Amino acid sequence: MSQTRNPFTQFQTDATQVTADDDRRSFLRSSMRGYMNTRSATQGRFIDYESARIAAGEVKWEAIENLDVYLVQFADNLEARGTKVHWCDNSEQARETILGILKDHDAKTIIKSKCMTTEEIHLNDLLSQEGYEVVESDLGEFIVQLREEAPYHFVFPAMHLKKEEINRLFQEKLKSVSTSDPEALTMIAREVLREKYIQADVGISGANFGIAETGMISITENEGNARLTTALPKVHISLMGIEKVIPRIEDLALLLPMLATAGTGQHLTCYNSQLGGPRQPGETDGPDEMHVVLLDNHRTRLLADPEQRDALRCIRCGACLNVCPIFKNVGGHTYGTTYQGPIGSVITPHLRGLKNWKHLSHSSSLCGACTETCPVKIDLHHHLLRNRRNAAERGEGGLFERMLMKGFVFVMRRPWVYRAVGWTGKIAHFLSKPIHGTRLDPFYRWKKTRDLDDPAKQSFKQYWSSRK
Amino acid sequence: MSRESILARVREALAVKTDSHVRHVSQQASTTLPVLANGPEGRAKAVREFLPFVGESFAERVAAFGMLSEKLQTEFICVADVETAHGELKRLAELNQWKRAGVHDHELLQNCTQNLGLELLATSSPYEVRDLAECDVGISGCDALIAQTASVLVTAHSAGGRALSVLPPHHVVLATADQMVATMADGYEILRRKHGDDWPSFMTFITGPSRTADIERVLVLGAHGPKKLSVILVGGTAGSWAGPRNTNQ
Repeated sequence: MSQTRNPFTQFQTDATQVTADDDRRSFLRSSMRGYMNTRSATQGRFIDYESARIAAGEVKWEAIENLDVYLVQFADNLEARGTKVHWCDNSEQARETILGILKDHDAKTIIKSKCMTTEEIHLNDLLSQEGYEVVESDLGEFIVQLREEAPYHFVFPAMHLKKEEINRLFQEKLKSVSTSDPEALTMIAREVLREKYIQADVGISGANFGIAETGMISITENEGNARLTTALPKVHISLMGIEKVIPRIEDLALLLPMLATAGTGQHLTCYNSQLGGPRQPGETDGPDEMHVVLLDNHRTRLLADPEQRDALRCIRCGACLNVCPIFKNVGGHTYGTTYQGPIGSVITPHLRGLKNWKHLSHSSSLCGACTETCPVKIDLHHHLLRNRRNAAERGEGGLFERMLMKGFVFVMRRPWVYRAVGWTGKIAHFLSKPIHGTRLDPFYRWKKTRDLDDPAKQSFKQYWSSRK
Repeated sequence: MSRESILARVREALAVKTDSHVRHVSQQASTTLPVLANGPEGRAKAVREFLPFVGESFAERVAAFGMLSEKLQTEFICVADVETAHGELKRLAELNQWKRAGVHDHELLQNCTQNLGLELLATSSPYEVRDLAECDVGISGCDALIAQTASVLVTAHSAGGRALSVLPPHHVVLATADQMVATMADGYEILRRKHGDDWPSFMTFITGPSRTADIERVLVLGAHGPKKLSVILVGGTAGSWAGPRNTNQ
């Protein structure tokens, strides 16, 4: 973090830039409208969607509040069927572990299916540095990888790009023929990637759930890329956060439809696969080796917070991003985090430090749309408030905020000072009129996007005493 | 090894009870939901009582499966017996100009795939991935059809391994009437009865042909997996589902 931009400054600069781009914003809004429509229709098919949310939420509560029990059960059951389980405290250990497995197998080419946790530990950067060929196979991830940028949204990685931009990208990087037809573009990627699956030495995937009872991971997808990634290469590595474990396999019958409905508006995504080990006796394909890399990376720090461990129940459907007025206006890259939107704003301060990431909890209108939409009922917008409170209590706001608050207290406790400030404000308001919107105005930065109405002729205090 | 250090941190964290207010927010109304009080069984019941409605009769399930299949662009074909199923496969083979087909050891499959004039590759014994990639179609069995979601439940055992049902551009599933169940939970129940604790290393719920909407949210079929999915239900005419064949042609 030393040489890179300060996260707060970066957020402000990027947000200003994106909010000024009307074209991109209306493009994002129209794709979100499509999502809202399909999702509403799918929710409408439920007998009782609200009860389904509570039930799904309860499954995740049971998992999180008994994480010690279910983690052990999960790992033991995986190992019993020949999977190697690696426990990693932090990103560095996880990277070393994965690198070690690749070296053991003398691997050269790696095919990856979508996994946000690998973004969290910056795996691709390391593997490329070490000379491995790493190819993302999810179409959206493949596109952002070619552009050498981070996913824009953790469910729709390339949602910010228009087909013409993808056409130019494919022409430049893949030397493909010019076409702006989404189907033709998809087929270009299909052809390129098909060969990669067959050649790859190792497949790396994530996991949406880990099933304790049976020792399996569950992967949700639409494209079939995760199935091919876990079927063809000789070695399969799955990286997952420790909070992904759930008690029983039947819980998936509830959670998978909820994940799909909230995530994309589908009643179920195309492939929901459970993998419980490498190729077993009597099976003719599948990898010779399966590795599950369990990552803590400060998740236990979040677990230790009795209020906010709630956020570990997240199933990463992305619904809170889709409904968030902030996300829609500042876009995904502005967050500067692995996990964007409301859930990202809640958990990033725990995963990467409150000091540098507290600003995310302030960039919210607290409208509560995220809480209302969450399929497992995480109390999202209140957690944003809790982050703000924690930051203030720990004095993370810095000297300026402390002085501001001291000044506020000083003014509010002394009626005569309060009146004096009120009058000064009124006079300053009228005096500043000629310079409104210019840099001569000392409050230019705050006022450049705001118009201040003239103050009322009568103050509330005057009005109140006149009524007596 | 970090196993113990992680578990120690988890236990230490959980020694402090969850804030009761936060816990209550997500639990609201759960006291009025009796199914949740029943623990694990309650969860399976929740799938039936809260998620989309599925009828009890075979005909209702076939109808539900058929209706969703249409939306998913799955070709759903109900036939009376093995002989008609064979006829359907022959029709599909000619229509789609198949030359090579991937198959596996499976009783129903064997009866249906004879004399189709196709070059067959069996994945029940070790095979070359490149040979399978050259097949025009993968024909497999399954464990269950899920009416609530129009999904096909397959495992490494019932579908000839992991790749047969995903690598070729067309996947054809042969199913029998007794495999039609209501929910995904019922699908797992079937697998439990069949395998006990000895689960296959791979299982998946297939819900329509492979798809993506990553470019401008435009739906494209056949992202990486099959572009087409056909489900042939043998002994399924009792449901008299005639819709999808007419609409999909």
